[in-house]
Amino acid sequence: MQRRQAGWIALFLLPAVALFLTIYAIPLGITLYTSLFDYRLFPNRMVYVGLANFAQLFARDAQFHRALVNNLVWILLHTTLHIAIGAVLALILYKKPRGWKAVRVIYMIPSIISNAAVAMIFANIYNPSYGVINSLLKSVGLAGMQRNWLYDPATSFVSVTMIWTLFSGYNTTLILSQALSLDSSVLEAARVDGASRLQQDFLIVMPLVKHMLATTMIMAATYMLQMFDLIYLTTRGGPGVTTTNLPLMLYKTAMTENNYGYANAIGVVIIALGVLFMTLINKLLRTRED
Amino acid sequence: MTQRPLTARGDSGLREQRPFHARIPAFLYMLLCVLVALFPILWVVMSSFKSNAQILSSAVSLPTAYSFEGYRMALEVSPILRYFFNSVVITMLSTFLNVFLVSLAAYVFARTRFRGKNLLFSILALSMVIPMTALMQPVYQVITSLGLADSLPGLVLVYMALNMPLTLLIMRASFAGVPASLEEAAYIDGAGFMYTYFRVMLPLTKGGLASAAVMAFLNAWNEFTFALVLTKSAAVRTLPLSLSYFTSQFSFNYTALFAAITMAVLPSILIFAVFQEQVSQSLVIGAVKG
Repeated sequence: MQRRQAGWIALFLLPAVALFLTIYAIPLGITLYTSLFDYRLFPNRMVYVGLANFAQLFARDAQFHRALVNNLVWILLHTTLHIAIGAVLALILYKKPRGWKAVRVIYMIPSIISNAAVAMIFANIYNPSYGVINSLLKSVGLAGMQRNWLYDPATSFVSVTMIWTLFSGYNTTLILSQALSLDSSVLEAARVDGASRLQQDFLIVMPLVKHMLATTMIMAATYMLQMFDLIYLTTRGGPGVTTTNLPLMLYKTAMTENNYGYANAIGVVIIALGVLFMTLINKLLRTRED
Repeated sequence: MTQRPLTARGDSGLREQRPFHARIPAFLYMLLCVLVALFPILWVVMSSFKSNAQILSSAVSLPTAYSFEGYRMALEVSPILRYFFNSVVITMLSTFLNVFLVSLAAYVFARTRFRGKNLLFSILALSMVIPMTALMQPVYQVITSLGLADSLPGLVLVYMALNMPLTLLIMRASFAGVPASLEEAAYIDGAGFMYTYFRVMLPLTKGGLASAAVMAFLNAWNEFTFALVLTKSAAVRTLPLSLSYFTSQFSFNYTALFAAITMAVLPSILIFAVFQEQVSQSLVIGAVKG
């Protein structure tokens, strides 16, 4: 039977392997290779420059420094504050208070609609003339605090950050699913021993869902490492470079400046950071029990 | 049957009655999460029924009359139905092809033995850790050299690939969960490899297929970055991409702008309302196996 199956096995694997080669492997190869070249379209040239692109990025490019710092700050906030917001809700919902299922579903909604739509909604919420924030400020007599939230360099970074920080539905769903699968006798025992509600949550439930917490942190880090649409559609990385991150800089360098080698060097930095965060979070939080 | 212990309400083994005041913080937090999730969307929907003047004078208020004038204007100014149609075609095709083709490979990985299986799977699993945004430029290059730039098939191909990792994980887990006896019985009855796969195995993994399809659908429906990079002309523009043109298209016609955003958001919410169990399930599978 084995021999007869070999042909079928190859045939069944073919589409997935072809897809992987076309959209993942070959582009990855091109990125790694061309990051070592001065490779542009106008004027058309491809000259080997070794690590010069990386030297330029790290030693001299102020825009890259800002993009890198912004990206790292956003990743830090996303793996801590953003997840904490969702985790607290999960800790409330796993005790199944009235309406817990509805709350879980409703809180997921902003996470399943397109980022393009979320960006447009927030561009309007922050709009200086008819946006929610300025209108509310005016109605409570604080018209002096009104500003152009997305385009004022003093507030642009925080305004953009708020677009994604509060919507933690994926994390709630994941942590909740793990918490609900816990053996309730553990919690029963803790309760009998006189553990308070907070003690149960933070000393018993949290350590037991640590593995899932690590997973959400990795997902949050890689998501934020690649964040593009929500920034592109609200501030395009501006004003100046206040809300630029690595994918935005990569996009500009590749698609508007046609400076491919340099753009792909930024791509290599993104890939390296992705690997770094995954290893780091795994080392910190995941135990090797399974 | 009439006697039920008072504590065993619903399916909750954990629920316990605590004094009202002790439940207030948790209740407030839940309320806050619901408001945060719903307010932005409700605000947009409410505004789509208001006149321009109302939007400008009182941004946060209920509409005084419900007029669909905004929707009529939106459809007139922008070919939203065209973009909607493009999105439907791209999403349906990429979802179907993704689930159909990747399931073949998932089956082979779950149920057959061949030399180098684990190595091949680890290589394909790399697609889970590569930040695709970093590969923007070379993916554009590959799609262009295939003659698929600025075309629907180009986007279909990329969206199929973007969803490959999750579908592979979900379907491999579903196939692995089918009892081996069923497969053996089919072979003993003289069924071939193809027959066994399509007539015996695939029908037994409907749950997995649904989870994989729903995620592939939502991800393709919501995708923005590659639509931006890979297409130029309005003829192949997707709904999320069209959102980035709304502000200029609807300049100062805020009612139409809000109506257009509402139309773009509703399909995702409806799909999610129907399939929210599958969405949560595939999230969990993706997180646990990933």
